[in-house]
Amino acid sequence: MSPDDRDQLAAEFALGALSGPELAQARALAASDPRFRAEIARWSGRLSPLLEEVASVEPPAALWSGIERSLTGPAASGANVIQLRRRVGLWRGIAGGAMALAASLALVLVTRPPPAAPPAIAPVTVEAPAPMVAMLDDDAHDMKLVASWNPAQRRLMVAAASDIRPGPDHAHELWMIPADGKPRSLGTMPGPKMRATLDLPMASQLREGVTLALSVEPIGGSPTGLPTGPVVASGKLERA
Amino acid sequence: MQARYASALPSPAGVGFPPGPGWFIGVGMDRTVPESEPLAPTAASRELVPLLSGIAAGDRSALAALYERTSAKLYGVCIRVLPSEDDAQEVLQDVFLTVWRKAAMYDPAKASPITWLAVMARNKSIDRLRARSLGTNPLDAAANVADDSPTAFEVIEQNEERARLTSCLDQLDPQHSAMIRAAFLDGATYPELAQRQAVPLGTMKSWIRRGLSRLRSCLEQPVTS
Repeated sequence: MSPDDRDQLAAEFALGALSGPELAQARALAASDPRFRAEIARWSGRLSPLLEEVASVEPPAALWSGIERSLTGPAASGANVIQLRRRVGLWRGIAGGAMALAASLALVLVTRPPPAAPPAIAPVTVEAPAPMVAMLDDDAHDMKLVASWNPAQRRLMVAAASDIRPGPDHAHELWMIPADGKPRSLGTMPGPKMRATLDLPMASQLREGVTLALSVEPIGGSPTGLPTGPVVASGKLERA
Repeated sequence: MQARYASALPSPAGVGFPPGPGWFIGVGMDRTVPESEPLAPTAASRELVPLLSGIAAGDRSALAALYERTSAKLYGVCIRVLPSEDDAQEVLQDVFLTVWRKAAMYDPAKASPITWLAVMARNKSIDRLRARSLGTNPLDAAANVADDSPTAFEVIEQNEERARLTSCLDQLDPQHSAMIRAAFLDGATYPELAQRQAVPLGTMKSWIRRGLSRLRSCLEQPVTS
């Protein structure tokens, strides 16, 4: 396929006119060829002002409550586990070959600290904070990591479930974005896996709903203390 | 470079806004304004940036506020593509759940929030439409589509952009530009368009290909005043 034909196919894909085998071909190219993706992006950018022409339509009032219910949060933990299992299944299906990681997630589910044995005298028991997990990915499904956070031990583990090697001149740096919206560095990824024990001030901010994100940085990490490169994957911490 | 990348993650309000007066003139945010009229500069679209930062940090009220302000526009985009209201509602729900998870990937240097959201709604709707016509599971189809990434389009949104696009479309054969609109906004494919216009498939393809090629030349011409 000539470069001109490729560009034409990218334009037709961005336009949305393709169907059947041509659509399949364009999808395959989009998944494997960054130049093809960039050409789609250019066309999508050229055409997107057309969306301003579309008339607004009020959605049914009940829709928001459905969205709100689907947000992961402090719901009953049983429901959360089911939801997580479903998501792990989906993620496993997409990621393929990430079985070991999926199994380690399942382990997180199984090894949740049991409720502390009731002390002989004090009737008040302090429940250990629940372990949490996050799936970090992008929407193109070519970056995938999984993070597990054990607040009781302040242990964070992050592992790549896809080939995420940065270029030779770059490193991947992990960030958390807590409630104040200010990214805090959790360090650069030494390889496909990272284990860290966080200090108390950092640990106290790493709570449910907080976003973990991976950015591309110079070797040695961001020189400014804030992300300087593009975010290539992100996900939210959820109760395991 | 620094400024652009620093804005890839939510930052305190005010940091990372692209320069220029027009970038925050978004898609028809204000439901009372007729869609065909360009919107006056408004703070509304700019206010969406801090909302996205809040969402990345897990703030549900920020998501609720974003929904309040953008759901009608986005539902309009979905319902235009999808014949089934149920599908349109599911896609809209999916858009907001994606935003909940992916708000950190929004890059204000690349697009206004409303463009980011509208493109996501449009792409997800097209995915659903194609999956329906193939009878496949939309989830499988969605996994194959690379272009709903927040980084998958590059546009600094300005009213001028739309004016320019409209003027370039107006220079095309009216039939060609009508087909380009129908494909992009209604999700109509080559075979559907050919049937609709009662022309051979090859004719429809060459109309649209010629139209796209001329459109690109026109858009790439340097602006002369």
